[in-house]
Amino acid sequence: MALLSSGVLLKRDPRLLKLPPYLSFLCIAVGIAWLLLLPLNDYSRRTYISENALLPGQVHTYFAGSDQHVFRGFKHEVDALEGKSNTEVNDKLEEFFKAAGLKVARQKFEYKSAGEVYQGENIYAILHAPRGDATEAIVLVGAWKNVEEEFNRSGVALVLTLARYFKRWSLWSKDIIFLVTPDSRAGPQAWVDAYHDTQSSPAIQPLPLKSGALQGAVVIDYPFNHRFESLHIVYDGINGQLPNLDLFNTVVSIASGQMGIGVTLQRMWNHKDDYKERLQTMLRGMLKQGLGHASGPHSSFIPYHVDAITLQPYGEGWQDEMAMGRVIESTFRSLNNLLEHLHQSFFFYLLMHSGRFVSIGTYLPSAMLVAINFTIMAIYLWVKSGTPISKSTKVASTMGEKSTPLELVKEGDAIAILPEEITGVRERELFLPLAVVAGTQFLGVLPLYIFNHTTHSMLSIVFGIFTILNTVLPYFISKSIIEYFGPTTQQYQLIKSFSLLLLGMFLSSLATLNFSLAFLVGLFAAPLTYIQPLPGRPILVTVLSLLINVLAPTAVILAGVFAWELNLGEVLKEAAFGWDIWGMNTQVVVWCVWWPAWLVGNILLYGKARDESSATKAVK
Amino acid sequence: MRLSKLLQLPLVLTSLLLPLPVATEHTSNWAVLVSTSRFWFNYRHLANVLSLYRTVKRLGIPDSQIILMLPDDMACNPRNAFPGTVYSNADRAVDLYGDNIEVDYRGYEVTVENFIRLLTDRVGEEMPRSKRLLTDDGSNILVYMTGHGGNEFLKFQDAEEISAFDLADAFEQMWEKKRYHELLFMIDTCQANTMYSKFYSPNIIATGSSEIDESSYSHHADNDVGVAVIDRYTYYNLEFLETKVREPSSKTTVGDLFDSYDSAKIHSNAGIRYDLFPGGEKAARERLLMDFFGNVQNVEVDTTNSSSGNSTDAEWEEDILALGKKISELRKRQEALDLQAQAQVNNSSSVPPPGSLKSEVKLPTSKIRAAKVEVDNSWFGKKAVGAWALAGCSLVWLAGSYLESSPSAS
Repeated sequence: MALLSSGVLLKRDPRLLKLPPYLSFLCIAVGIAWLLLLPLNDYSRRTYISENALLPGQVHTYFAGSDQHVFRGFKHEVDALEGKSNTEVNDKLEEFFKAAGLKVARQKFEYKSAGEVYQGENIYAILHAPRGDATEAIVLVGAWKNVEEEFNRSGVALVLTLARYFKRWSLWSKDIIFLVTPDSRAGPQAWVDAYHDTQSSPAIQPLPLKSGALQGAVVIDYPFNHRFESLHIVYDGINGQLPNLDLFNTVVSIASGQMGIGVTLQRMWNHKDDYKERLQTMLRGMLKQGLGHASGPHSSFIPYHVDAITLQPYGEGWQDEMAMGRVIESTFRSLNNLLEHLHQSFFFYLLMHSGRFVSIGTYLPSAMLVAINFTIMAIYLWVKSGTPISKSTKVASTMGEKSTPLELVKEGDAIAILPEEITGVRERELFLPLAVVAGTQFLGVLPLYIFNHTTHSMLSIVFGIFTILNTVLPYFISKSIIEYFGPTTQQYQLIKSFSLLLLGMFLSSLATLNFSLAFLVGLFAAPLTYIQPLPGRPILVTVLSLLINVLAPTAVILAGVFAWELNLGEVLKEAAFGWDIWGMNTQVVVWCVWWPAWLVGNILLYGKARDESSATKAVK
Repeated sequence: MRLSKLLQLPLVLTSLLLPLPVATEHTSNWAVLVSTSRFWFNYRHLANVLSLYRTVKRLGIPDSQIILMLPDDMACNPRNAFPGTVYSNADRAVDLYGDNIEVDYRGYEVTVENFIRLLTDRVGEEMPRSKRLLTDDGSNILVYMTGHGGNEFLKFQDAEEISAFDLADAFEQMWEKKRYHELLFMIDTCQANTMYSKFYSPNIIATGSSEIDESSYSHHADNDVGVAVIDRYTYYNLEFLETKVREPSSKTTVGDLFDSYDSAKIHSNAGIRYDLFPGGEKAARERLLMDFFGNVQNVEVDTTNSSSGNSTDAEWEEDILALGKKISELRKRQEALDLQAQAQVNNSSSVPPPGSLKSEVKLPTSKIRAAKVEVDNSWFGKKAVGAWALAGCSLVWLAGSYLESSPSAS
C-alpha cells in the first residue's frame, strides 16, 4: 500500500518533475568535462602492440648502399616526367615495373561530381610472394599528386626503388602490390572499389590483375627533394573510420624505436606532450573524424576494412629518403609476419600523442551523455504533456468550492484512494506534433539533394540563397502553424518531445559509429533542449533567435569556412565529391538529423500557444 | 685388464640389485619433446625443442626413442629468410633442422589427445611404432614441453589446452601401467611451475621455468630471421648441457644442473620439485643427468653366460658362479612353484562341471593369467568339496546303519 501510493505519488511529485531540465544540463556539462579529462594521464593510456605476430622493428633493414643509387636514378626519371600526361607517365612507370620483373596492369577511371569530371589511369604492379600462397596482399601506394596537389616526386621514386628492392627478397608470405595513382582522391577510390568489384559505374574499369585479400596499405607522401626531420602519420579514414591501432603503433615503434625518427600526428609539428597539446591533438583528430572526408589516399582503403595509413615526411632534418625506405621496409616485414587480418587492437580510439590514446570505452560516455540529454528532455516533455493542469492554480480564488475528485487505484492486493489529479492522464493530441516533426525530417532531404546535385559554379550561390531562406523560413512556418492550427502548449511540448527524442536516438546510435560527429552535432544542438515558445517576451525571443541562427548548420559551415580561410565553393564541392565518390555520409547527419532538429527548435521559439482554458480536459 | 674392469662395473651393480625387489636402475632412455605452439612468431618454441632434440641425440638417445612433436614447420615458412633451416642462436652456427631429423608428430597431429594417448599408450592398432612411447618399468623418460601457458594449463596450438591435472593423471596412469622407471619433467612456458604442481605419481623430478604469475622470457632475437630464437630457461639449460655434459660418460648430476639456474639470468624463478622422488631431494639431486639425457644404461642380466668373458679374475668368477648358482636355485624354486601352481590349476579346472568346458576352451590365456590370483579360492573350494564329500559319506553311512537297524526292530 505504502509502496504503491509512494510510487504513484512520486510520479507526480512536482519536485521530481522539476528535476529533468537540470539533469539534462548536468549531462551536457559532465559530457564536456569528461572529454576534457581524457588527455590526463589517469584517463588515457600508453599505446602498445597487441598483435604478437607483428614483431615491429625486430629485423635488420638492408635498404641502403647501392639502393641509394637506384633511388637517385629513379628520382631523375620521375623528375623528368613532371608535367607529362597521365598516359605518358604510366607508359614509363610500366617500363620500370616490368624491368624489375613485376606484373603490371592499368585501370582507367572516370567520376562525375558537382558538374566536374575526374578521370585518370591507375597503374599497379604485383610482386608475387616467391614462397607464399597468393591469398593475401599488402599495398604500397605512391600517388603521383598528393592531397595538396603537390608532385609526389620522392614518394613515387621511392615506390619504384622499393619495388625493385623487395623483388630481391624471398621471404614474402604475402603478395605486394605497388600502386601509383594519378591523384590522391579519386584514383585510390577507383582502384580499391575495382579491387573488390564494387565500382559504381562502367566508367571505372575492372582490374585486369588481382591478388589476394588486402591486409594493409601504406602510402608514401614525400613531395620534396630535401632531407626530412620527422614523420607525420595520417590515419583518418572516410566517415571517421580508423585503421587498426596496431598498424599505427607498428609504424611509430619502427620509426621512433628502430630508426630514431620522430613521429607526429594531426599536424602538431612540435608536440610537447603536455595537457594542452594533447587536448589540441585530440580535438583536431575529432574534427577530422567528424568531417569524415578522405585525408589521403589511404582513406579509401579503410571502408573496405583494409588498414591503411599515409606517411608524410616533413621538416628539414638529417633523415634521408633511405631512412624513409627503411621505415617502409621494416613496416612491410612486420605486416608480412601477420597471420590474420589486424584485429587485436582498437578500431575506435582517439589519439592525443604518438604514444597515447583513449579507447572507445573511455570516451564514448562523453558523447552518449550529450545525446542522453535530449532523450531525458523528450521523456520529460512527454510526461509533462500528459499531466493534468493543476486545479489549485486555476481556481485559486474559489477554494473549497468543490472537493477534488478521488479515484480508487488498484494494484495487486493494494488499494489506494488518490486525488484524480494525480493519477489522471491528459489526452495527448498527437496529429499536429507528429506531422510537424515528420515534415521537417522529410524537408531535410531537400538540402541534401540540392547540395549534392548542383554544379560547382552554382554551389556558392545556392548555399547563399539557402542560408537566407533558412533564416526566415522558421518564422513563416511558425506563423502559418499558429494561423492554421493554433497549437496548444501541450502540442508544442509534444513537437519538442518528438524532435528531441529523434535527435537523441540518432546521436546515441551515431556515437558508436562516428563518435566525433555525434559529439559535435550534439554540442551544437544542445541549446535546442531549452528552447520553448516565449510569447509576450519579444526581446528575449530576438536574442535567442540570434543565438539559434548562429548555431544553425549553415552558419556553422560558414564560420568554419572563415575560420580556416577556405573557399566556400571548394568546401561544398569537396562535400559533393565526398558524397558521390567516397560515400561520405556527414551530409546525411547534417541535413537529416541536425538541421530538422534545429528547424523545429526555431519554429518553437517563434511559437505562440492558444489559450488552453477551453481545451482542459481531464480524462482517466 | 681395462676391458674387464669396464665390464665389471655393471656386473657389480647388478649383483647389488638382485636382492632388491624393485630395481633402481633403468634399462632404456626415452625423450618426449613437445612444442605446443604454431605460427611464425613462435619460432623460438620450435627452436627450443629442436635444440633439446639435438642435445639428447648428441648424448646418445636414438631417434627411435625420441618422440618429437612439432606443430609448425618454421624451416619451410615463407617468412624464413634462411629457407630450410632453424636456428636457436643469432650466430646461426648450428642448423637445428640439419639433414637428420625425425619429427614424429607434426602440424595438427600435435593435440592434447594425441599427447596423452602417446604417454598412456592408448593408441589404435594402426599407430606406427615410431609414434609410440614403447617404454616399460625400466625406462627413464625425459619429458620436455614448451609453448604458451598460464596458471595450470599449457596451450596447444591456440585451439585447446592441457591442464596440470590432465598431465598429472596421465603420469599416474603411466606409473600404474609401469611405463616409466624415473621421469624428468621440464617445462618452459609462462607460469610453468604450476604445470607440475598437481603431479602425484612417484619417481618424478620436475622443473619449470617460472613461478605462478610470472612470465618466461625469450633470450634473444635474430634480427635477420626477425624473431626471437630461444627462450631464456631453455637457453641456460642448453648452455649447461653443452659445456658440462660433453660426453656420455659425464658424471654431472641433476643437482648440478638445478644449481646452475640463476634467476638473474633466466629473468624468472625456475622451480624444482623433488618430493615425488623416493629418497627426496638428496636422491634426486644425485641422479646423473645422463640418466635422462643420455642413453647409458645397464643391461638386465638374466643369464649366467655373461660371466664367461671374465675368466682372468678368480675372485669375481667365484662370486659370479655363486651368483649363477643362486640364480639357478631361485629359478628351480620358481619352476617348482610354477609346477605346483600348474597342478593346482589343473585340479581346480577339473572341479567345474563339463558344461563350462566350452568357455574355458575359448579363453585359455585369460585362465592362465588368472590362475595365480585364484590359488586361494580353489584351495578353499577344494576344502569345501572335501567337507561335503565327507559329510555325504557319513550321511550315507548313517542312513545305511539306520536301514540296517530298522528291519531288525520290525
